[in-house]
Amino acid sequence: MWKYSEKLIEHFKNPRNVGTLEDPDGHGEVGSPVCGDAMVLDIRVDDEQRISDIKFKTFGCAGAIASASALTEMAKGRTLQEALSIKASEIANYLGGMPKEKFHCSVLGNEALADAVKDYRQRRARLANELETLLSNPPEDLARLLGEEVEVLSVHPSRVRLGGTADHTDTLAERLSKLLSDSVDRDVEVSLE
Amino acid sequence: MRHVYFDSNATTRVAPEVLEEMMPYFDRSYGNPSSFHSFGSACMEAVEKARKQVADLIGAAPEEVFFTSGGTESDNTALKGAARMDPSRNGLVVSAVEHPAVLETARYLERRGHPVFYAGVDSEGSLNVREVSSAVDEGTALVSLMAANNETGVLFPVDELAKIAHGMGALYHTDAVQAVGKIEIDVRKQDIDLLSISAHKLHGPMGAGALFVRRGIDLPPLMHGGHQEEGLRAGTLNVPGIVGLGKAAELAGEELREGSAERLRNLRNRIEEGIISTCPETLILASETERLPNTLTAVFGGIESEAILTLLDMKGISASSGSACSTGTTDPSHVLTAMGCDANMGNSAIRISFDRYTTEEEVDYLLEQLPPIVEKLRDVSPYA
Repeated sequence: MWKYSEKLIEHFKNPRNVGTLEDPDGHGEVGSPVCGDAMVLDIRVDDEQRISDIKFKTFGCAGAIASASALTEMAKGRTLQEALSIKASEIANYLGGMPKEKFHCSVLGNEALADAVKDYRQRRARLANELETLLSNPPEDLARLLGEEVEVLSVHPSRVRLGGTADHTDTLAERLSKLLSDSVDRDVEVSLE
Repeated sequence: MRHVYFDSNATTRVAPEVLEEMMPYFDRSYGNPSSFHSFGSACMEAVEKARKQVADLIGAAPEEVFFTSGGTESDNTALKGAARMDPSRNGLVVSAVEHPAVLETARYLERRGHPVFYAGVDSEGSLNVREVSSAVDEGTALVSLMAANNETGVLFPVDELAKIAHGMGALYHTDAVQAVGKIEIDVRKQDIDLLSISAHKLHGPMGAGALFVRRGIDLPPLMHGGHQEEGLRAGTLNVPGIVGLGKAAELAGEELREGSAERLRNLRNRIEEGIISTCPETLILASETERLPNTLTAVFGGIESEAILTLLDMKGISASSGSACSTGTTDPSHVLTAMGCDANMGNSAIRISFDRYTTEEEVDYLLEQLPPIVEKLRDVSPYA
């Protein structure tokens, strides 16, 4: 048996944030069954780019499961940038130390998180792209609803906030939501301010 | 916390009768058997008694039994010795699933210019005998194929393999470390030339073993030095260890005659049926193949074996796996890989092995603790 700390054992026996998120804002996957350890990780991100919810599943040893659990606990509530800067050594410290042969286990969590953030950014960029296309070249019915100036306030993989002088804001939001949802294959909430 | 041992293929507890037999040779009869004086030479009688006990267990003559430090030394002596007896005949035939003591020695000899053929096994762990048959030729010095596999328990057809080797004039060695004492072995009937034994696998002490060398084979030594063991193995005899091995061999012989294999097989069947009925997505490796009665390897789909072992350990249960997560990548054992298991399967395998001291009640405990552990880890797994 490896010499594990009490805290690591506790995280292994009762891992935090196990599972998957329905319709996550970012989904990460690392490793594969052919190379040993593997991990999937989902994140939900708020409008301030903070991780509001995070879930993981791991195929791996006690060290891998405990460090994934620790990482999710550490990352929750942090901004994406802050979460990405969590080092493997910080995870090991958080768990009260880790046998050095097991250090590679904690790297797995960082990689899964980085992959989820990358996925979040790609989804967001795609939606921003679709939105820009729609606004610059709107179908006729949408053009009628759009006001003189529409400003994009924020884009998130599942919601956009717009500002401007449009009339019939409810109808416009509904119509935009439908068009965007269809193009990114995901429910997109549109709000106008 | 209670402790339950299910790792008897790693090592076994020294039998109380064995320990008792060994004790006087530490502090009372502590002479060197090679000494002139009677205090020392008296110890030689104990060594010769042990030689007879070991010989009886495998159907050999006492003078064909040479004491070593264990299975690894016996294997090294057999392979390196046989490969160097005749320069015109220096090839080896081994299998891909041999214990590292054979496999790594074969690789070492291969690097030294000896042709080595590694025979494969099928998905049930059975040896490809036809492949062995076509690989053995006039250049083959030694065919070394194990009697029973330490991980899966799969038995190789020793009698048939000896015939194949002899058909081409090669010697036949078998690493019988896991088999001796668990199944019947008779070197005469099975026409075996060289056979390795380890004491601690059959309730004897660690650090003692033997190599059977059929009469007439002039094997060169691995260890050079004094004249002990007819010059085949130099070094002061490990008297307490040898005495322990002798007693352990005697007990194993009695147990076998009293039907120990049947009792172990019943326990194994109970464990296998228990696991299959309580843990979904689980399979027993080589279940259709003839195996040691005390060994089973179960693959728990979607979960990693070291995690299972860690949770079992917390419940006081000692078992083992065919892989270790320690180097950055987790490689499954060479045995499971040779059987065609992918890494996912190989990294989900647990070996459960037991012995004469294992009770029904301990099996109950294992079967009660295992299912919730598997379920708990499946909840965390992305594959389950």
